[in-house]
Amino acid sequence: MNAEVIIVGGGIIGCSTAYNLAKNGVSVIVLEGSEHIGNGGSTRNGGGVRQSGRDPRELPLVMYAIKNIWKDLSDMLDTDVEYHQQGNLRLGSTDKHHQILNGLTERAIKCGLDVRMIDGYEARQINPYLSEEVTCASWCPTDGHANPLTATMGYYKMARRLGAHFISGEKVTEIRKIKGKARQVITESGNIYEGDKIIVASGYESRFIVSTVGIDVPMQPVLLETLVTEAVAPMFWQMLGTADADFYGHQSNHGSFVFGLNSGYEPYARPGKPVSSSIAVSAACRGIMKYFPSLSDIKVVRSWAGWMDSCADHIPVISPVEEVPGLILACGFSGHGFGIAPAVGLLLSQLATEQKTTLDLSEFRYNRF
Amino acid sequence: MNDRNRNIGEYIPADDDNIIVCRCEEITKGEIRRAVHDGMFTLTEIRRYLRTGMGLCQGQTCTKLVKSIVAKELGIRPSDLEPATGRAPMRPIEMYILAQDGEDMK
Amino acid sequence: MKRYDMIIVGAGPAGLSAAIESAKRGMHVIVYDENAKPGGQLFKQIHKFFGSKEHKAKIRGFRIGDELLAEASALGVEVVLNAIVIGLFSEKEVTVKIDEHVEHVKGDTVLIATGASENMVTFPGWTLPGVIGAGAAQTMMNLHGTLPGKRVLMLGSGNVGLVVSFQLMQAGCEVVALADAAPRIGGYGVHASKVSRCGVPFYLSHTIVSADGDDHVTGVTIAEVDKNWQIIKGTEKHFDVDTICLAVGLSPMSKLCDMAGCQMEDNPSKADFVPTVNKYGETSISGIYAAGDVSGIEEASSAMIEGRIAGIAAAAKLGFITEEECNIEIEKQESALEGLRQGMFAPGMRGKIITETDEGVEVSQNLLKKGFVTEEEIERFPGVTHSEGIHPVIECTQNIPCNPCQDACSKHCIKIGSNITALPAVNPEAKCTGCGMCVASCSGQAIFLVNEDCGDGTAEITLPYEFLALPQKGDKGIALNRNGQKICEAEVVNVRTAKAFDHTNLLTMKVPKEFALNARFFKKEA
Repeated sequence: MNAEVIIVGGGIIGCSTAYNLAKNGVSVIVLEGSEHIGNGGSTRNGGGVRQSGRDPRELPLVMYAIKNIWKDLSDMLDTDVEYHQQGNLRLGSTDKHHQILNGLTERAIKCGLDVRMIDGYEARQINPYLSEEVTCASWCPTDGHANPLTATMGYYKMARRLGAHFISGEKVTEIRKIKGKARQVITESGNIYEGDKIIVASGYESRFIVSTVGIDVPMQPVLLETLVTEAVAPMFWQMLGTADADFYGHQSNHGSFVFGLNSGYEPYARPGKPVSSSIAVSAACRGIMKYFPSLSDIKVVRSWAGWMDSCADHIPVISPVEEVPGLILACGFSGHGFGIAPAVGLLLSQLATEQKTTLDLSEFRYNRF
Repeated sequence: MNDRNRNIGEYIPADDDNIIVCRCEEITKGEIRRAVHDGMFTLTEIRRYLRTGMGLCQGQTCTKLVKSIVAKELGIRPSDLEPATGRAPMRPIEMYILAQDGEDMK
Repeated sequence: MKRYDMIIVGAGPAGLSAAIESAKRGMHVIVYDENAKPGGQLFKQIHKFFGSKEHKAKIRGFRIGDELLAEASALGVEVVLNAIVIGLFSEKEVTVKIDEHVEHVKGDTVLIATGASENMVTFPGWTLPGVIGAGAAQTMMNLHGTLPGKRVLMLGSGNVGLVVSFQLMQAGCEVVALADAAPRIGGYGVHASKVSRCGVPFYLSHTIVSADGDDHVTGVTIAEVDKNWQIIKGTEKHFDVDTICLAVGLSPMSKLCDMAGCQMEDNPSKADFVPTVNKYGETSISGIYAAGDVSGIEEASSAMIEGRIAGIAAAAKLGFITEEECNIEIEKQESALEGLRQGMFAPGMRGKIITETDEGVEVSQNLLKKGFVTEEEIERFPGVTHSEGIHPVIECTQNIPCNPCQDACSKHCIKIGSNITALPAVNPEAKCTGCGMCVASCSGQAIFLVNEDCGDGTAEITLPYEFLALPQKGDKGIALNRNGQKICEAEVVNVRTAKAFDHTNLLTMKVPKEFALNARFFKKEA
């Protein structure tokens, strides 16, 4: 089967790229290895659409997405992606926390971001549910959150409507060069897909796929867990994080709270199917209740785990691979991929059609290591 | 291999489209049928897109119902559709109770 | 971390049976159950069970629960109630919520015996209060002493629908109809017959069109369906009811197995998504077992044996018994299980159309479609014979695994033989004394003592009677036939109760002798 562009990976990066390509009439095939679209980090994250706390090299991407895409995304995708731009509070309660938050804030201000340090009092003015434990916070009023599940499925839905061809359960094992160019994608079932450009956006799996054409990206799979509570009446719309990064999350339109969590134990967990640990949810509940005591009676209904692809320098690779013409890499998003996905999809579509990219991508070169 | 471009026909509105199927999340049969035509071909995708089975009962009541609706729309057997993964906690549990965890581990 | 030889999730028939077998062999066992009462579904099963002695046949379900619980406690098994298992994690670590805290425990083996939950069907109005699962209705009546409603329509003719319909009437509800979209009754014919003779009409090939009501059920409309399950317009029938009971099957509650990472399969013959298990009930994860409905919907009797097998297998795995002992014990259990999985209702027979019994007797089509065997049909079955004086009439017409009647008669009037699914036959050589033990022992309430001609133009029929208020000798009323229709006047001439009858009262009524062969129930009314 042929198309102008073959995308390996049906996560939010693959789906948003397919959407941008299909919108411009480019034929595209998306191959998803698992049974389900959006099966990796795309549906296993806290839904943050934030600039604060982000690596300065990634800031232009997210600032562009917030300014130009996120606001209109629900209309664009004919899907409620539940985007709220009501700010991000990153909370702290110790001097050490203050130092961490202050460092992040100063760096972001230098990049032109509207973010500042506030004290506990002001934090409680913004979010009255915060406990007295909170003594400092960074506050970025233009940050927000969205629903990663509907955003991912929305990109998929609209890309499909526009003619992108999705095939799931089609695990890519090899990229094959034809006359010096990466042209063919070979799957476990023996099928061959051919295109002018091949975009690999398969999270950690990308490492094995591109190694078949002699390329490596230094990254590790890291286990992250998420919990969801029952729905309650709306309380606040800010995105939340902490200086310790022990939990982060928000209340969704539906009324449930979605919190990403980190047990602090063994992030490089056993390979294979991501498995929840028996203690992470409890640890997160303690952290959440310390800052939000009024959530203590809310019931947790579900928790799940997933891999993120953590790059050696914690920012992604978004890059054409000149030494393998035709190959474009988009991986190593290191747990920050969701908020920038709308921009990354646009940029990848530009790379695939050999247009000048809207933003400079030189920081994300594959050969920077 | 699940080709999302295969022809499953048009979505044709039905009289009973307004029946609620997932009671916890109040999702109707029509919403589920439309989601299938929008490309949600697996129960996991339906769940991610519509929230079916994500409420307090965690799909204990509606999984089978959703399964038969989706299977019918796709023209496949219900047993060809894998239910969404079981997740802890098996029953909804208050945060303050989960937080009181670990005392016996010391 | 606290560690047990076996952690059992679910204190139902499978879980308790496994606990008994493993504790008996020296294992340190703990059982968690999320309910306030142990026993799972057994504690609402007020009817007598089928099977043979080894399956605890003719004992009422709740008593079996009591027995299992007593046996487990005597063996030192810890049964923790109101204990909600949160998850089963790597290394067989179980987290469980007990009261207001969470405990972590590890098991060298874990048995998942979480049972099943009720299926639902959708129709306009299905979310109205008053639409409930049949199992829920049973819980309300038999555990909490609360009537689910006054006038009930039952959807589903499997054993659950039939048994609960009967229990609803025992509790004092009126069952206005029993409907099923299938063209034939799914449960045991004897269960259908005892419902039918109380006057409940059966509507096969019928489904619910809609439930009426604004804030609760006030009525229901059913209609006939064609071969493609589509409603045939113009066949609608309306009933004023306040309750609609759904008995449309069960689904294994297998989420914990899935979460633990056990290999799962969607097996329609096991009724849904179940863990793949080997003959010991062990899942794809070594040391994690599944037994009872969670690994495939069957009767409680089968669940108990599956539990026993898992308990014995776990004991062998952990070296409490040798492989040899294990194999011997498991063989015994397997043959008991095999015994239950015979006959017309064996798991492998699901969906098959059966036209004759193992004995070559043509099956009553009327029984399959209307819930009762007609007077003409009943004559061809080996349990129905005619002789002078009092004699048993056994209206048992399907091959089901059950044989207590054979042992109940000390005079050996009833013969089933070694194959427990054979139809009971009357031994013409033996002399019936009218003791009534067979009537009380029949879990299907299908045995009657009949004296076809008392010499004064009357006949006497002794029937099993499990309703309140119990009629008294001398009460006058009417006799109903197998279809629940009034056929003649009747007078109660004797009512017997005895400990050995276990709450099945024996009511003897006198009717004109021409009705001897079809008067099968007594109703106290003018």
